Amino acid sequence: MTMVIPARRWPVRAGPYLGPILAIVVWELLARALSDAFVLAAPSAILLYLIDNAGLMGRALGVTLANAAAGFVIGNLAAIALATLAVVWPRSDAMVRGLALLVFCLPLVATGPILRVVFGPGPWPQIVLAALAVYYTTLIPLLVGLRALPTGWLDLVRSYGRGRMAALIHVRAMAALPYLVAGLQIAAPAAFLGAMVGEFTGAERGMGVLTIRAMRGMNVEMTWALASVATAVAVLGYLAIGWIARVFMTDEPPVILAAPAEGPRKGPRALLTVLTVAVVMIVIWWGGLKLLNLSPFFAKGPWDVFEALFLAPDAAATRSTLTDALQETGVFLLPGYLAGLAAGAVLAMLVVLFPAISGTAMPVAIALRSVPIITTAPLVVLILGRGALGTVVLVAIMVFFPTFVACLHGLRQAPGRVMDVMRSYAASPWQVLLRVRIPAMLPAFFAAARMNVPASVLAVTVVEWLATGNGIGSVMALSASLSDYDMLWSSVALVCVLSALGYALVGLLERRVLAAYAPEQLA
Amino acid sequence: MSAAVICTDLAKTFKGGVEAVAPTSLTFAAGQTTALVGPSGCGKSTLLRMIAGLERPSAGQITIGGHPPEETLRKANLSVAFQDPSLLPWRSVRKNIELALDLARRPKKADDIDQLIRLVGLDGFAETRPAELSGGMRQRAAIARALSTKPDLLLLDEPFGAVDELTRQQLANDLPGIWEARGATTILVTHSVSEAVMLSDRIIVLSPRPARIVEDIAVDLPRPRSSDQARRPEFGTFVDQVFAALASGMAETLPKAAQ
Repeated sequence: MTMVIPARRWPVRAGPYLGPILAIVVWELLARALSDAFVLAAPSAILLYLIDNAGLMGRALGVTLANAAAGFVIGNLAAIALATLAVVWPRSDAMVRGLALLVFCLPLVATGPILRVVFGPGPWPQIVLAALAVYYTTLIPLLVGLRALPTGWLDLVRSYGRGRMAALIHVRAMAALPYLVAGLQIAAPAAFLGAMVGEFTGAERGMGVLTIRAMRGMNVEMTWALASVATAVAVLGYLAIGWIARVFMTDEPPVILAAPAEGPRKGPRALLTVLTVAVVMIVIWWGGLKLLNLSPFFAKGPWDVFEALFLAPDAAATRSTLTDALQETGVFLLPGYLAGLAAGAVLAMLVVLFPAISGTAMPVAIALRSVPIITTAPLVVLILGRGALGTVVLVAIMVFFPTFVACLHGLRQAPGRVMDVMRSYAASPWQVLLRVRIPAMLPAFFAAARMNVPASVLAVTVVEWLATGNGIGSVMALSASLSDYDMLWSSVALVCVLSALGYALVGLLERRVLAAYAPEQLA
Repeated sequence: MSAAVICTDLAKTFKGGVEAVAPTSLTFAAGQTTALVGPSGCGKSTLLRMIAGLERPSAGQITIGGHPPEETLRKANLSVAFQDPSLLPWRSVRKNIELALDLARRPKKADDIDQLIRLVGLDGFAETRPAELSGGMRQRAAIARALSTKPDLLLLDEPFGAVDELTRQQLANDLPGIWEARGATTILVTHSVSEAVMLSDRIIVLSPRPARIVEDIAVDLPRPRSSDQARRPEFGTFVDQVFAALASGMAETLPKAAQ
């Protein structure tokens, strides 16, 4: 008997490529239609610009890539060291997570000028910013991976009288590899983002320097060419790490955006952890400045910030400036953040309800999730202007992609047996979505919502810094250029604490919602 | 050298007040195979885990060959085969066995490992990863790993629990000869009565949670035992005796639970 294997249908094979090809065609047509508006460069024009300026772009790309690579290595090594510490010495876990979150919440745009002052000219601010941009996105999946293993494997190690170190070496390290890869995949574009932000703050060469030059000169082709190159690098970095992982590992890397919601903690213990983290952070801040022996003119310690905010003669004026700026930022940030979350979740649900579009949407979304905000900001400003709409859209875009990917992953993780039960009762796709898939999606949605708090703060401060001249981003830019270091350090500390509070607030909301609608997900 | 295990007033209550094991004293004779039989969730695995040093008792003490379990653990003189084979998926059968030797700080002799792989019937699968093995083959690999360190004390927690009935019978036929030949003291947890009679020299029947001893039965059937023996009347007598003890344990416990 001859067995005929049916050929795969065309749409299935073309699915992953169809989206990008369609996008490029629409982009080309749109750019030609809007050629008088000077906002959109066509792919063909970008290609021509790149060919004409290959030397300039190549040199800039080389510089930024080198800084990003150095930051990538340093940041990821730090993440691996911290995760190892948290696993080998579990008491340090809360401290490691707390400190890591606080550092992750530092607004990169304002950290850049401070690092520039600390390190002076040269590549180190860019490298440190790249490292700061990557370590958290690697640390969190790694911590999950180092723990997400059957207890039997750990019992096996213990039954031979061996301890945590042996478990780490023989069992946990290999088990965590897929999670490490998931983190590294997100870290690759993030390192590029960090390096470019660093170049905004007084570097001499690199893609960031060219981006500022293009924006100031209103050079549409150059802005789009830079954004395209940065996007291509980010996507290639993401795909390359995925490819290496597939070659060397049998397990597919999971999609993890944040640590799972922690179980309810007793009030005093949680408070003690927060206080300890705050004290250690202040000691590190103060000790770091002492150790580096920096000039007190620009190196402001915790006491200087406290003094500037509460004791100095102009403390009230400083507080008022910061409060006004934060209110301005909040007006753009909150709608953008909520719109991005809603759009991500709704589109993910639509993809599940109409699976035909997922073949095209998923590869595009996964690739775009890795696009650095720094490349998107100038484009959104070009298209939508320097007003409120541009800022809100930019924040929404920043929040949308990680939310979409996480929600889709969560929706698809609905337990198979429960789905079978729903099918056996001939439940409609809507009923399945409402009763099974959405509760299964909630942890992934909230994980994305938590991680997106600092990400949206970064987006809004970048666009305020680069374009709009409003809000806390603008205050940071202004104080950096006027050498008002009291104001700069105060803004950094305030934004960092508010981001961490926002993260904690979403975590609180997450526990309440999960307890009400999906209590099994809290177990 | 095998070691006797002595438990004195051993008890376990978990956080939240769930009493898993009521205060119990019992001795497992050196070189004997003893089965712990009881209904699901009665606390027999908890008892085994306390002996293995994987669970800290709430009260009482354990000695293995006259020493506390920590000493046995430190010397890696015991091995556990879990219900789930717990093979590391990225390691082949050989590498999984080598892991136990690494953890126990014992030399890795290729000939010994090959012999062990042959003994458990996995000849030709030494370089195969667990995902490519059947459930029964994985259990054999896990038992080979447990035996590789030549332990004085072998603890088997429902080692055939995850395989089909036919494979279960086959494993029960093939494997006891291997660990008995090594003279280790063996404690086997199972909820299968016929498996307990087939494998052990002594059966301790436990009540529903919290576990306490309902009956202690010496199984004096001749060895080696085969599946043919399971059809003989004397085998059936032991099976009936264990079932009766289980029923009596349930009858004593359930009215209390209902109160």
